[in-house]
Amino acid sequence: MKYTKKDLGSFGLHLINTDKFKTITVKVIFHTPIKKEKITKRSLLTDVLLQSTEKYNSKRNLTIKAEDLYSAEIATSNQRIGNYIFTSFILQTLSDVHTEKGNVEKSLEFLSEIIFHPDIENNSFQKDKLDLAKYNTVVALSSIKEDATHYSLIRMSEAYDKESPISYRMTGYLEDLEKIDEKNLYQTYQDMIENDYVDIFVVGNYDNKEMLSLIKKYFKFKKIKKTKESYYLNNKKPRKRRLFAKETIDNTQSKLAIACPISKMTEYERNYSIVLANLILGGTSDSKLFKDVREKNSLCYTVHSLINKLDNLLVITAGIDKNNFNKTVELITNNLNEMKKGHFTKEDMDIAKEVYHTALEEIEENENAIISEILFEEILGIESIPQRLEKMNKVKKQDITKVCKKITMDTVFLLEGVKNEED
Amino acid sequence: MKKINLNGLDMDYYLETLNNGLEIYMLPYTNKKNYFISFATRFGSEVVEFTDEKEKTHKLPLGIAHFLEHKMFEQESGEDPFTFFSKSGTGCNASTSFDNTQYICYGTKKFEENLEYLINFVNDPYYTDSNVKKEKGIIAEEIKMYEDMPDIKLEMELRKNIYQNHPRKIDIAGTIEEINKITKEDLYTCYSNFYIPNNMFILIVGNFNKDRAVEIIKKKLEYKKKQSLPQTKNVEEPDKITKSKSKITSNIEVPKLAYGLKIPTKNLKLDKLELDLYLNIVTTILFGASSEFRERTRNEKILSGIQMEWEVLEGFRVFYLIATTKEPDRLEEEIKDEINNLSITEDAFNRIKKVWIANEIRMIDNIDATVSNLYDDILKYESIVSDRIDKIRSMKLKTLEELIKKIDFKNTSVVQMLPKTN
Repeated sequence: MKYTKKDLGSFGLHLINTDKFKTITVKVIFHTPIKKEKITKRSLLTDVLLQSTEKYNSKRNLTIKAEDLYSAEIATSNQRIGNYIFTSFILQTLSDVHTEKGNVEKSLEFLSEIIFHPDIENNSFQKDKLDLAKYNTVVALSSIKEDATHYSLIRMSEAYDKESPISYRMTGYLEDLEKIDEKNLYQTYQDMIENDYVDIFVVGNYDNKEMLSLIKKYFKFKKIKKTKESYYLNNKKPRKRRLFAKETIDNTQSKLAIACPISKMTEYERNYSIVLANLILGGTSDSKLFKDVREKNSLCYTVHSLINKLDNLLVITAGIDKNNFNKTVELITNNLNEMKKGHFTKEDMDIAKEVYHTALEEIEENENAIISEILFEEILGIESIPQRLEKMNKVKKQDITKVCKKITMDTVFLLEGVKNEED
Repeated sequence: MKKINLNGLDMDYYLETLNNGLEIYMLPYTNKKNYFISFATRFGSEVVEFTDEKEKTHKLPLGIAHFLEHKMFEQESGEDPFTFFSKSGTGCNASTSFDNTQYICYGTKKFEENLEYLINFVNDPYYTDSNVKKEKGIIAEEIKMYEDMPDIKLEMELRKNIYQNHPRKIDIAGTIEEINKITKEDLYTCYSNFYIPNNMFILIVGNFNKDRAVEIIKKKLEYKKKQSLPQTKNVEEPDKITKSKSKITSNIEVPKLAYGLKIPTKNLKLDKLELDLYLNIVTTILFGASSEFRERTRNEKILSGIQMEWEVLEGFRVFYLIATTKEPDRLEEEIKDEINNLSITEDAFNRIKKVWIANEIRMIDNIDATVSNLYDDILKYESIVSDRIDKIRSMKLKTLEELIKKIDFKNTSVVQMLPKTN
């Protein structure tokens, strides 16, 4: 794998050459500082952009065009990354060797058509397309409880801190829908094209010179922009007394979700100690929580912890019977306290280090993982894979206990399953 | 060892069959760091009764195949397989389906040790009264988790409408009541009858040495004897569906619709793979991403999400379509109209063929997707399909039109799932 970065002024171009794939993957990422009122706009915008363009007047015609390009795939996403929204457009297409000469170029032109040539009339999007996008949002919001784990995480983060971006619902907000019309959504679009910081990643087997000229031909941004705000969220002071919050749902199982803020992590702790601490506590099928809560006490089928270092947050989830709520919380508290006291073995640490090592080794087998790796090295200044592997191996027990002492079990949320017996 | 070219993909797979009947399928890659191993048995939830070598008949508690899968992880030494694999950063898991159970491990390191360990732990059952009892709480939570998923509940309801007798109308994990009946003796009975070399296979994909893999497997498993396969109870499944329409309610806000088409295959004179390709192309053209149906129903706001799947089983093919819709009655009409006025254009037919060939080439880059496709091939077609691209290329519209004439497109069932009224 070979990585070359080109600063093209108005955007950063990241060329990653690898012979592992028969496809070329292109990801165009727009970064914008997050604001609650931007979320619904961005979500409607990407929906509308994928419905039609200047040249292709319906979603069906767009899909047929993609199929004609040997099943090229185009997708969009809006993700919150710390303090930012990343609006991404992803293209994956077979390289010319496996199709015909010009397929990659035509695919790039197609992606560029979607981004730069929207279906516009009088500086407005089409009303029927926007209506459909709004309708899709309404349906998505109405179905939000169908994934009970996901819903419990949203409700937990709202209980934890309603003001923080952590609690923002990326699906959008019902109350924002009516404020958005064909005209102001077009302004949102222009604002994204003109003001967002842009990165373009290209992964695959291709010639850099040819790719550079294709990218220059099809992706033209005017202004030079730089990101200013930090990607990391500010630390929030944990509560003095643990908050218990609850909501009922018409389900059989209950979902437990716990927010554990980590105060004032150092750069080293953020990238090393907390990563290992999380793997030992609940990050694997061999973790303390898995062994104790599931295997020893038979309280659940799923129990995990995960770490979001941009948010300074450790999250613990489990699917339980509501009658076991107190016992489960007690076991989780005990396990976290054990971590703080250093009650874990060298073997636990070695295993966590190996799991980390394999995860890093597998990055180059997946296009999206490669892109995320390079992006985070770049924007967060994270060290390279070999440097990280070396440093991770040297993490000591006291490093882990030290960072664990900064963890507070702040908000315990229970989405309580209370089955309505109608069915 | 047989070497077989996967045509159009520039790859070879290898097949070794041991004297005791165990099949080893291997697809080595030269440009990947990771590997994936699956050790599988053709034993799943649809075995509800069988007769063993000594002519003794066993009626099984529902959900036992899945329960056994959980209990395979119990070792007499007390060592947890998850711990062993984690030591080399290797992932490990297992899954049970209607007609198979598989144990998998995947990673980048210690291939040989991990292969040996995977074989050892699947080879070495250790069931006790207390470890069986302990699992009941865990599986009960797993069953409850699935019960709370509306799409799964809806699919189960449709299965009851489609199958009159076939155990595919019963949930893979069984019911809490049934799993509570399971004893360690039941588990040993199933294990000794279905976890036998001639009912099992190993699939390895990725970065590994194929000769070393075969050596290790032989060393570990060659001593095992071929056994006569247990006679699983033959279920007489009528051609007709059970019930053409039903309604249920659930904890949802937007209604859902499930549509099923049941096709008996005994009079369809195509080989299995060809049959599946032709059936698939019909539903892809009718309901796929580039269909007129999708464009129309999306624009009329009567379709907000759709999933489709073909189920393959002895004697039948069943098509499942599950949709989210604010207007289930209208969507139901649209689907039936589409099926009853079926028309396939040459243009759409050729475009989908092109898409499928491209997808075959793309898919081989991805080890996870490849593993899952090869695994399905082995179960559905008794071996890895090596000429799929040729088969797709040679598909003819005329053959499709003849097939369509033989199918009863009225043998369907619909379930509507509506929000509760309170």
